[in-house]
Amino acid sequence: MPPFRKGLLKRKIYSEDPKDSRNEALSKNESLEDSEDLIRGDLDDVNDATDSEHEEDPNNAGSDNEIEKVMFGDDADSTLGDEADLEDSDQSSDLTDSEADTEENDSSDENEVSETTSDSEKSIDSGAESGPSQAQSSDEAEKKSANQKQQKLTTKSLKKKQLQTQKETKSSVDILADKIKNSSVSIQPVEQKDEYSSGDTSDEEDRRNTTGEVPRWWYDEYPHVGYDLDGRRIIKPPQRDQIDEFLKRCEDPDFWRTVKDPSTGQDVKLSKEDLELIHRLREGHVPNSSHDEYQPWIEWFSRSVLATPVRAFPDHKRSFLPSRSEQLQVAKIVHALKMGWTKTRKQLAEERKKKREKQFYNLWGSETEAVRGIQRHIPAPRRPLPAHAESYRPPPEYLLDAREMKEWNKLSETPWLRKYTFLPTQHHNLRSVAAYSRYTRERFLRCLDLYLAPRAIKMRLTISPSDLVPQLPSPRDLQPFPTREALQFRGHAGPVRALQPDPSGQYLVTGSDDGTLKVWEISTGRCLRTISLGGRVSRVLWSPAAGLSLVAAAVGPRLLLLNPGADIGAHRIAARTDELLEEPPPRRDQAEDERTASCVEWQKVAPEEWARGVRIAVKHFKDIVHVAWHGRGDYICVTLSDAASRSVVVHQVSRRRSQLPFRRNKGLVQAALFHPARPWLLVASQRAVRIYDLVRQELLRKLQPGAQWNSTLAAHPSGDHLLVGSYDSKCMWFDLELSARPYQTLRLHGRAVRAVAFHPRYPLFASGGDDRYIVVSHGMVYNDLLQNPLIVPLKQLPGGEPRDSLVTLDLCFHPTQPWLLAACADSTVRLYS
Amino acid sequence: MSKEIAEVQLQVRFVTKQEQYAVPDSPYAIQSNFQSTELNTLINALLKENNVSSQKSVEFDFLVCGELLCTSLSEHLQEKGASTEETLEIEYIERFPAPSPQDCLMHDDWVSAVQTNKNWILSGSYDNSIHIWSTKGQHKLAIPGHTSPVKAVAWVSFNEDQGVFVSGSHDQSAMLWVWNVKNNSVDCVVTCRSHEKGVECLAVSADTLRFATGSWDTNISLWSTSPSDEENVPAKKRSKPDHGNTRNPLVTLKGHREAVSAVQWLDFNTVISSGWDHLLKLWDCELGGIKQEIATNRALLDVDWSPLSNSIITASADRYIRLYDPRSTDSIVKTTFTSHTGWVQSVRWSKTRDTLFLSAGYDGQVKLWETRSPRTPLYDLSGHEDKVLCCDWSNPSLLVSGSCDNTLRIFKAKNAVGNA
Repeated sequence: MPPFRKGLLKRKIYSEDPKDSRNEALSKNESLEDSEDLIRGDLDDVNDATDSEHEEDPNNAGSDNEIEKVMFGDDADSTLGDEADLEDSDQSSDLTDSEADTEENDSSDENEVSETTSDSEKSIDSGAESGPSQAQSSDEAEKKSANQKQQKLTTKSLKKKQLQTQKETKSSVDILADKIKNSSVSIQPVEQKDEYSSGDTSDEEDRRNTTGEVPRWWYDEYPHVGYDLDGRRIIKPPQRDQIDEFLKRCEDPDFWRTVKDPSTGQDVKLSKEDLELIHRLREGHVPNSSHDEYQPWIEWFSRSVLATPVRAFPDHKRSFLPSRSEQLQVAKIVHALKMGWTKTRKQLAEERKKKREKQFYNLWGSETEAVRGIQRHIPAPRRPLPAHAESYRPPPEYLLDAREMKEWNKLSETPWLRKYTFLPTQHHNLRSVAAYSRYTRERFLRCLDLYLAPRAIKMRLTISPSDLVPQLPSPRDLQPFPTREALQFRGHAGPVRALQPDPSGQYLVTGSDDGTLKVWEISTGRCLRTISLGGRVSRVLWSPAAGLSLVAAAVGPRLLLLNPGADIGAHRIAARTDELLEEPPPRRDQAEDERTASCVEWQKVAPEEWARGVRIAVKHFKDIVHVAWHGRGDYICVTLSDAASRSVVVHQVSRRRSQLPFRRNKGLVQAALFHPARPWLLVASQRAVRIYDLVRQELLRKLQPGAQWNSTLAAHPSGDHLLVGSYDSKCMWFDLELSARPYQTLRLHGRAVRAVAFHPRYPLFASGGDDRYIVVSHGMVYNDLLQNPLIVPLKQLPGGEPRDSLVTLDLCFHPTQPWLLAACADSTVRLYS
Repeated sequence: MSKEIAEVQLQVRFVTKQEQYAVPDSPYAIQSNFQSTELNTLINALLKENNVSSQKSVEFDFLVCGELLCTSLSEHLQEKGASTEETLEIEYIERFPAPSPQDCLMHDDWVSAVQTNKNWILSGSYDNSIHIWSTKGQHKLAIPGHTSPVKAVAWVSFNEDQGVFVSGSHDQSAMLWVWNVKNNSVDCVVTCRSHEKGVECLAVSADTLRFATGSWDTNISLWSTSPSDEENVPAKKRSKPDHGNTRNPLVTLKGHREAVSAVQWLDFNTVISSGWDHLLKLWDCELGGIKQEIATNRALLDVDWSPLSNSIITASADRYIRLYDPRSTDSIVKTTFTSHTGWVQSVRWSKTRDTLFLSAGYDGQVKLWETRSPRTPLYDLSGHEDKVLCCDWSNPSLLVSGSCDNTLRIFKAKNAVGNA
């Protein structure tokens, strides 16, 4: 707020009568303004009425703030005026402009005055102080550009009002408004004036508060409200109390149009234009009075084609080129429609419509109606056509004679045995046929029969059993394999427990329950030698060492290494074997631990035993179950029965030394043998097959055959495949490179499998057990790692006669020929070729 | 069907290579259900017609389409797929008369080897001994000498008072014996030792100068048969009085991969051998190399070659006898003879008839075969109760076989009249 206004306010506090004070103020100030106001006062006679109106209101007296409150709270007029001001500050400024233009000279004068008043603060601006514009000043502060002009106007208008009030004491607001209108109309034509030409910019600068958009209450505690452009404080005008306010109200005829400028705290008197603007707004007219609402309409864009375009620019390119993005969007939508992701409005509408329709259950329809009649039709069974007997007038031969009648009557208890279900009777004509009393019932029963009859289409099995059989090559193409029994080796007195042909294939050694070991010539079945060993021979094995003629035989707990004799095999080798084994090697390392010593004893061979061929005897603490040579023929692996952790013993023949490879019991060991190629030991226990690396002394793999009780184990000569037989009549083929589970489980036997064997040369393996047949199978193993072994069961060979539910006890293939040797429980050995 | 065929009339013409039984070369119409017996009577009637002088009716065998007629003509033709419309040429030959059992010579153990000559029978047994029998069945001599079962015996030469023979045994040696008939004493002149395993077979060459042995050590050795040839024996070995002379082989033929089961001489320079490695090998003795190989698919147990027909028959570890032609380079079986039910252990050609041979099998049967009748043998010489291990037909009138039932059975073949 400009400083001169403050001065004005101060002064007004002292004034008592509004009219007087106004007068006084005017007189006191003696400013040019006043005089100018007076001059202009004639033009303006509206303000008086408003003045008077305000005078009547006693509540309006008081401090600036209070006034504000009151005005917002009570006085509808003033609030309206406020709003109008807020909304149309520009227009009001326009108005003021126009007004200012009318009175060019005055304004220039006024400016001068303002300058002078700014210098001498208190003496200036009586008019501003006296007007109700004071109340509005807080709002007006926000529109600074408008402010200064407005205030100019208010000062001018104040003076006019003062003049008018002198003339008229009372007039209504309406009258005033009318007058304003008139005056405004009169003002209107004057236009096109530069508002700055008169140089009122300095005036503007003066009154500007530079604090910006900060809340006013920040300055509540200070004596100033902000700073002007020069950085000087704008001091708050003195606070007026209620009495002051009242007095002012009584005195000041322009109190009703005085509002307070919040940015400066000064009272501002609303000008005539402001009021007019307020009025227009209240009336609901266009704020700008110069705007003609009803000017004639020119139809620029019409259907009539003009010679020249209305607009100066040509059509844009996109108005005639199809849009790429639109095209993409459309394609997207079309695709979505095609895929059924979205639906067209029509479809949606149809769906909605369908949903809205009532749904009835089709009681009589059936879901498979279309196919039912064609595919699933089951014709009712046909009834036989009526024959002659059923005629109403059957030929006489169909009528029952006396004898037949008698029979008919006899069967009355069992009517279904009768020849007819009815009694053929003769009527002379159809008319005389009586109604059949049971017709309805029988018809009903017939229908019931048809309805309840379990009719079904008999599905013919389209799969022939041969399709279920896997595609395997024909056994004919897999020859040679043993196909029939060629020879029987007779001579044993008890079940033959074990057998093995010698590496050259000339001889066969067998061990039997009769306590003898026999050596046979394979080609003729001649028993060449019988060695009595004084106990059941459970295992016999030729040593694989080429330079030795040695047979390992397990007799109870003893393991005997025999030289079968000079007449068997090469003399030289036999002699050399004897020579080698005659003297035990010097026992340099006696560091055999106690555990081993407790279960193994290398015995001295008695002379009579030596004469029989025994060269080395090893006694174990338990019976021997299984014996296996190492490929080189130096080590021999013995499995003992029920020996817990000591069930596997490995002997070294050359050094006459034993060792127990295992410290812990890993289940009931059934068989242990050396891997044919690697330094591994394969141990078949009751449930699992474990592979140990003997060099690194660790468990390599554990195979799970999945059988209840493994019985035996055989290793393929390549070493990559294992065959495990089990007492639950299964054979499991393991591919060691494939998995720990069987590659194939062969259920070829009806009973326990006791023996399995691989052929060392041919792709053959055989399994035998407690059932009558020995099964020979083709087991082709490929070098190609990608190709799985081909397993084809080839032939069931009849085994021996069962003895004590045992049939086949051991199996072995001939080392060079595709012949199978089987040790049978009926004390024979059979050769199949 | 058979009835329809039975009604068919066949145009036949009878031909023969035996001049004395020739009949006029004119076609005859006969019933198609005729069997050999009917044909026989027909031929005999024809012969009688032509030649009144013929005193006895002769038994004939009939060859239709190159095969011996065993069933009715119609069935035979149907089997052969021959037409019944054309004139059929039936060749007839005098039937080999049925051999009659003559003797049964008891041994103490299995008879593993046998050979006959004109008057004497030589047999080897599993009780390590060699026996000499007369053809009349008289036991002449039992010769112990080997320490293991004797597997092969062969006559080398025989003259009035002295016989020379060789024996091969499981004890890895072959022995050359000289038998003085008059004194009935035998002497082992030479022991041949070089085999490392048992001697399985031996054969004496036709010129009786050399013999070949085959052994389980896969080698074939050729030895000289001269009883006292100093040129072969080193001086220091000769000095050993107790064991007689030992002799080293002239040549050792190495090439079989497995046991040699049989050797036979083809001529003075060629030996054929069969092995368990499924191979037939023809060896050149001079060069010591293989002339030819015939691959078969079974382990071979015996082989024999006939100079008359120049063909090889083999016995293998199945039920079949196979006939090969040594001149053909590819190993094609010419005929397979199927009648045995067990392994055939031994086969021998007839020395006089090019189409007849003898076989002995593990089914206890000795069979006399005609090469043109592959399904049916001419005769089954039964009598053995166990596996027959050996047979011999060196003496054309004697068919001998040794068996596991410790017997040596002799069948006498009546000499066919017409076969000069």
